[in-house]
Amino acid sequence: MIYDIRHITSYRYETPVASAAFALRLLPRVFLGQRVVRSRLSITPRPADETSSTDFFGNSVTFARIEARHSELVLEANSRVIVERDEPVAAGLTPAWEAIRDAAHGATSFCSAGPAHHLYPSRLVRLHDPATAYAARSFSPKRPMLEAACELMGRIRRDFAYDAAATAVETTVAEAFERRRGVCQDFAHVMIAGLRGLGLPASYVSGYIRTTPPKGSQRLEGADASHAWVGVWCGAEFGWVGLDPTNDMSVGDDHVVLAVGRDYADVSPTAGVFIGSGAHALQVSVDVRPASE
Amino acid sequence: MSLKSPAQKEKDRRDGNTSAWTKGYAPLPGASDELLAEGGTRPAWRRFLADLSQTRPDEINRSFAAADRRIRDMGISYRVHGELKERTWPLERLPLLIEQKEWRAIAAGVEQRARLMEAILADIYGPGDLVAGGALPASAIAGSRDFIHAMKGARPPGERWLRFYALDLGRGPDGRWWALGDRTQAPSGAGYALENRLIVSGAFPRQRSSLNVARLAPFFRDFRAGLSAAAERADPRMSLLTPGPYSDTYFEQAYLARYLGFLLVEGDDLVVRDRIAYVRTIAGLKRADVIWRRVDADWCDPLELNAASRIGVPGLMQAVRAGNVVMANMPGAGVLESLSLLGFAPALCQRLLGEDLKLPNIATWWCGQKAEREAVLDKLDQLVIAPAFGEALPGSTDGRGVLGADLTAHKRAELANAIRQRGIDYVGQEVVQLSTTPVWRDGRIEPRPFVLRVFAAATEDGWRVMPGGFCRVSDSPDARAFTMRQGVTSADVWVVGDQPVEMSTLLPADNAVRVVRQLGNLPSRAADNLFWLGRYLERAEATCLIARCLIARALELDGWSTGQQAAVELLQQQLMAWGAATFRANARPAAVANEALSSPELLGSALSIASAARRNASIIRERLSQDSVRLLRDLEEQLRAPADAALNETDAAERAQGALRLLAAMAGLMAENFNRVAGWSFFEMGRRVERSINVCRFARQFAFDGATGENLDVLLDLIDSQITYRSRYVVGPALVAVRDMALLDPQNPRSLAFQLARLDEHLAGLPALAADGMPEAPRRISLRLAAEAAAGEAERLDTAAVLDLEQRVSRLAEAISARYFLESAGARDTQPSGLA
Repeated sequence: MIYDIRHITSYRYETPVASAAFALRLLPRVFLGQRVVRSRLSITPRPADETSSTDFFGNSVTFARIEARHSELVLEANSRVIVERDEPVAAGLTPAWEAIRDAAHGATSFCSAGPAHHLYPSRLVRLHDPATAYAARSFSPKRPMLEAACELMGRIRRDFAYDAAATAVETTVAEAFERRRGVCQDFAHVMIAGLRGLGLPASYVSGYIRTTPPKGSQRLEGADASHAWVGVWCGAEFGWVGLDPTNDMSVGDDHVVLAVGRDYADVSPTAGVFIGSGAHALQVSVDVRPASE
Repeated sequence: MSLKSPAQKEKDRRDGNTSAWTKGYAPLPGASDELLAEGGTRPAWRRFLADLSQTRPDEINRSFAAADRRIRDMGISYRVHGELKERTWPLERLPLLIEQKEWRAIAAGVEQRARLMEAILADIYGPGDLVAGGALPASAIAGSRDFIHAMKGARPPGERWLRFYALDLGRGPDGRWWALGDRTQAPSGAGYALENRLIVSGAFPRQRSSLNVARLAPFFRDFRAGLSAAAERADPRMSLLTPGPYSDTYFEQAYLARYLGFLLVEGDDLVVRDRIAYVRTIAGLKRADVIWRRVDADWCDPLELNAASRIGVPGLMQAVRAGNVVMANMPGAGVLESLSLLGFAPALCQRLLGEDLKLPNIATWWCGQKAEREAVLDKLDQLVIAPAFGEALPGSTDGRGVLGADLTAHKRAELANAIRQRGIDYVGQEVVQLSTTPVWRDGRIEPRPFVLRVFAAATEDGWRVMPGGFCRVSDSPDARAFTMRQGVTSADVWVVGDQPVEMSTLLPADNAVRVVRQLGNLPSRAADNLFWLGRYLERAEATCLIARCLIARALELDGWSTGQQAAVELLQQQLMAWGAATFRANARPAAVANEALSSPELLGSALSIASAARRNASIIRERLSQDSVRLLRDLEEQLRAPADAALNETDAAERAQGALRLLAAMAGLMAENFNRVAGWSFFEMGRRVERSINVCRFARQFAFDGATGENLDVLLDLIDSQITYRSRYVVGPALVAVRDMALLDPQNPRSLAFQLARLDEHLAGLPALAADGMPEAPRRISLRLAAEAAAGEAERLDTAAVLDLEQRVSRLAEAISARYFLESAGARDTQPSGLA
């Protein structure tokens, strides 16, 4: 599947901002089963200094610094991505979760794709005993890793309500877990906390999902949003498998990966610092369109 | 019959005296001791006590008392996080003594370990052979918050990740020194060690020289030279990056910056442009070549690391990765403080250096490995269980370990379960019995357990170890190492030699010095704080003057004229306008004056202002003399009213008078002792701006159009110009004459014209941003104001004209702030982002 993706973020400031510095993760990364044909980020006003690189986890990151006084900032990312993922892994064939745990703890790979970096509590995902206990119910002794993880994903989908008003970017795992509601970020964080609490590696994946329009109606421009899901490590043979607890589905050709990290803080699309005071309004629009349409 | 030489007899006499000291001194069972070994008193202590026993007891007491005074006077204080007040540094009077022979072994061990740490860091952040080769599990590193992902693959300047290293040591019951933990992030304590040395050697000058105690200064000189040599530029600008005055060890940081001649900077003082770091100074951005960081790596850059950090520098990581700034230590070096790695040290030392560890490790097993985990679970009740990465253990709030044996059966089972599930988070450690050293308690010596921190610095010729250290002494007789808490005292550490030591200080050889009259450029933050220190002191003085004036008027209660009544009311109103007094109907003037001087609640009281001045001074204490810091403390004490004080006019008058004297002393000290580089200008400008505004305000209040003689008399009091006026005019106060004296007289150091002329001079002397010779914004205002005041005529002044002048001085203050200070500090915010 070929996608054209447009992701526009705009900030409007009540009082002008004197200067700003950003680390932007708005361009899709290279990933297994995913190629980036072209991508471009345009920033208005024009930055005094802009550099692009790849971070530790392999995400593309752009550092930009704006020195001009401005009242509006627009970040527009355009990219074309080809997604051709392999057939889903047969869950029953994956090793027992205890074996996965032991393999992860003794890993001799320190690269970002190895399991070691995704075992520990991270900035936004602290271990939370109730979340661990919740996850543990799906991890009976010797159960195949992916089978247990898929069940956990399904339970989160059933037990948690999707509610954009319930949580914010900085909501903790404990809060989201107590409320049993939230958005994709919260579902992913809760699932990651549960897995890590059991000693299992889990990563946070940000990206997009293609929304299928209702029959007979035109898809709405910009109606799509950025999305997030979980990477589950199934051992050296099977590697990382994407599970989307918001939709209770394995990650397939409808998902486009933007960035991967330990939690949202590692992949935040627009981390930054600005000098100025006063309130601001934020608007985000995402458009994921199959290129053939 | 034995024949003894007179010298031998003399020695016996001395030894006999030392036994008086050691009588009743009983080391703890099972622990070794620094004073007593199997063969009796250890030689270093024998020498020390022999020397001491020749000293008369009252002389010793005087020495101790002098040391106590010194601790207080030098402003040695430290802050426990969250406390506004500083506390006195708890220092043991007796030093820890280590003989040179023993020290050589310690120093060799620390030097080796520093090399080992550097080699591990270079591999972790570089090729990664240790993990790939199975020598180090990936998850033993990845769990550390101080494994900084953004540094993977970076090449540090001079190929050094580590430039300042410390090792905590304890002596075990077998008499050997054991490595308890590595300090690779930003070790603290070296500055305290310096301070401790100054104080303790001040108390025992004779002993220090007769015991040939090794000096600390050369170590710091070499550390500084090593940092300097690593920089790109020949004459690098060196800074110490502090988390700020609320940091636990801020005092130490300020002291070290001052001692080493580094700029003390906070995150806001630095800025990164195009991957180059700069210091914001009053002369614009100046390249920051070397940064000694005391900010933990995770807080260094909100852009790439912890976005919540307000003490970092956005973009700093980019500058570090580009090699454009020498940072000690490199971000990420702190990963080696993880206890998970401790157990691997012996094998890694063999593998990387081909050597055996010279100082043995405290035995530590990381539970992320199966065999080690099983071993720890087997003897859970004999071991200390500690967090592998400094996170709190379940059911605990700090990062400390617990002794398995101390837990209830239920808690122990819970811990065992947690270790089975996530063994990667835990280590088991053997219990170490620390040795004890004598401390002085109630006129006698007693044994107390201690740990010793030894420092090493990277120089061009390899590692150099500081001959001494930072010794922390526990006040509890429990000698198990893991129980050492924060509430401990410290002791000076003497490395005792047989040969006299060479004298050396930070003074370099003559030919190595290029004469410079200005030490770098003044950071904007320091300028800001000096400016406000000046303003606060001036405001405190004005408040005291009003209070004194009010009391004097109130004492003449009999026969108050209506004019006097009105003047008293005006004075009270002025205090209220400054937030120095609250409104109360029919309040006695003395009560109002008391409140204005000493109210701890009112933010405008002289006491509150003096406290604000002292806080300001503590932020820039590396630039102030100890005398001035002490004066500020005295001022605060002077203004504090005793809790049970009846509101008595005489007391209040005396308090005001005493405070004014201290303020005058402070002004004199600043004028005579503060170096006339840019910093002094900012202090002076703060004072001049505040005095300008106040004199305008007083003139409007008391020399308004149609003011009475009583009003004008008050004004002369407030501007301290009674004597001058009477010497100049035989008649009583007249409006035009008083206005001239208060506002236009260029000879009167209290007049507006005098202040404006000084302000203009200071601004003229400050560095310019552009080389076009055009006056900058503040100077444009001051030029005009000074000229107007110089050419002004008192006859043409009225209240409206004075108000206009006052407002323009306020604008001048704003212009100074916008041009020279950190305009943006505090207004910084982190950009939130949107996500569905």
